[in-house]
Amino acid sequence: MNLVRSELLKIRTTNTWWVFALITVPLWGLALLFNWLQTEALTSGNMGEVPADQADQVQAVSSADSLAANLYTNGQFFGLLIVMLLGIVVVTSEFFHQTVTTTFLTAPHRTAVMVAKLAAAGTLALLFWVGTTLLNLVFAPLILSATDVGAQLGSGAVWRAVALNGLAYLLWSVLGVGLGVLIRSQIGATVTGILLYLGGAIGAAIAIGLLAAKFGDWINQLQLLVPSLASSLMVSGADIPGNPPRWAGAAVLIGYAVVAGVIGVLTIRRRDIS
Amino acid sequence: MSDGQTSPNAGTGQIVVSGLTKEYKNVRAVDNLSFTVQPGRVTGFLGPNGAGKTTTLRMLLNLVTPTAGEATIGGHRYADLADPLRTVGAVLEASSAHKGRTGINHLRVICAAAGLPRERADEALALVGLTPAAKRKFKGYSLGMKQRLGIAAAMLGNPRVLILDEPANGLDPEGIRWMRGFLKGLAAEGRTVLVSSHLLSEMQLLADDVVIIAAGKLVRQGPVEQVMSSMTHGSRIRVRTPQADELTAALREQSATVDTDGHGVLLVAGVDAPTVGRVALAAKVELHELTTERPDLEGVFLELTAGKAEIR
Repeated sequence: MNLVRSELLKIRTTNTWWVFALITVPLWGLALLFNWLQTEALTSGNMGEVPADQADQVQAVSSADSLAANLYTNGQFFGLLIVMLLGIVVVTSEFFHQTVTTTFLTAPHRTAVMVAKLAAAGTLALLFWVGTTLLNLVFAPLILSATDVGAQLGSGAVWRAVALNGLAYLLWSVLGVGLGVLIRSQIGATVTGILLYLGGAIGAAIAIGLLAAKFGDWINQLQLLVPSLASSLMVSGADIPGNPPRWAGAAVLIGYAVVAGVIGVLTIRRRDIS
Repeated sequence: MSDGQTSPNAGTGQIVVSGLTKEYKNVRAVDNLSFTVQPGRVTGFLGPNGAGKTTTLRMLLNLVTPTAGEATIGGHRYADLADPLRTVGAVLEASSAHKGRTGINHLRVICAAAGLPRERADEALALVGLTPAAKRKFKGYSLGMKQRLGIAAAMLGNPRVLILDEPANGLDPEGIRWMRGFLKGLAAEGRTVLVSSHLLSEMQLLADDVVIIAAGKLVRQGPVEQVMSSMTHGSRIRVRTPQADELTAALREQSATVDTDGHGVLLVAGVDAPTVGRVALAAKVELHELTTERPDLEGVFLELTAGKAEIR
């Protein structure tokens, strides 16, 4: 517990957390604007020609639950990126500033230190989740009312999506910590993280779409293996036909986080600090 | 030194390094190194750059895993210490704090992790005279202030054992003087103080004992005086005389080795100064100068490590 307190103090006594929070806000706003437009388009049925084979999917994402879930988890795309970067920084700044020596002198049990780092990064991630969720609880009802969907605050699916969104924030911070251990260089880990996240989301979505068109719909199931797609799947308000079930997304993401965390701990245990 | 006779008492803070070895891919940075460090004394850990000093200290502190051998502090490996910060304080790098964090917060982070009361941070800062810079960020510290902050961090747990890697690096003369007094004071309180350095002149003023290593191997250990006087062939007698040839002949009869610098100065080894005086008197040689040249630590050090510091 002392170690967790110390790790949280480390975060509190530097600029990183509020700089990241400041970056998050405009990104959140951008996402809100995008989701607002999307919600309007979906509710007005103004999607243009929808191919027959995608009609079911459009139907699913146009459901009130799905629209509401999307808005109450607004900011997820960049929020997850930010908390992953925070997880990276929690580890790599120790190497960057050579404070890792002091850290391991103070607490020679490295596993405990890493667990504390995971806990601290996770706590911070959940705070980011709480912050964006509060913002969403203010703005999403406005958009939902404006588009005649209604606030949907009584819907279990909405709250499930919000909770799963919290889980996603937590898991991505764990992924970040694991990545930070594997790539000690602050710049290297950050760039790799961003590329994996954005490239993984966009690149894999395109690749899977192309492959699915060629080899059949079952390829769509593979998007489950891409962490960023798995997490967006996890928080979608309703199951979308042709896509893997939401719980599978959660399972995959938890799997990645556990693997990242365990590899991180095992690596740091054996590493010479010089 | 009581090698192996008594098991080191956990309360004494004795450091025992035995058979310590670290192999990297192509090089044995530390090679079967054994030595002991006693409490109540300042021990200088000396060696040329690249001799393996830092690697040894890091193995002692569980930061680097030894290939073979063991190092204990008060009978325990560092990783097994119940309360490491209250037992051992270490200063390894001058630049080991987050640049954007204030000095006081740096210490508070450590206090939190070690379960020490927050006030210790203020006390330790005062101890090293950094209180006025408490709320300044680390990046604004001078090198000397960084060293002091490192020492403050090491003193947070009021430890019995202090380990410092090149603490004089980057300090101005005033800072070095302060450091010397500080470390001597700690040793006088009965603490164990192990200081690595390549600044030999500084060690001569500071250390009671020395451990000299080169190329990862132990060269010599013991009290400074003893190590220096053990280098008998290092001490020479400088004689100035107008009758150099006569005195040279007379001294060589006493099986002394005599060199000359060609300007009427003889450098005599193998006999002591009174003997030279007596021989000169018997030979009726006039003496203008008779001085024993004791080697300083630097001379001893260079002699002991000569040829062992090649690039590895």
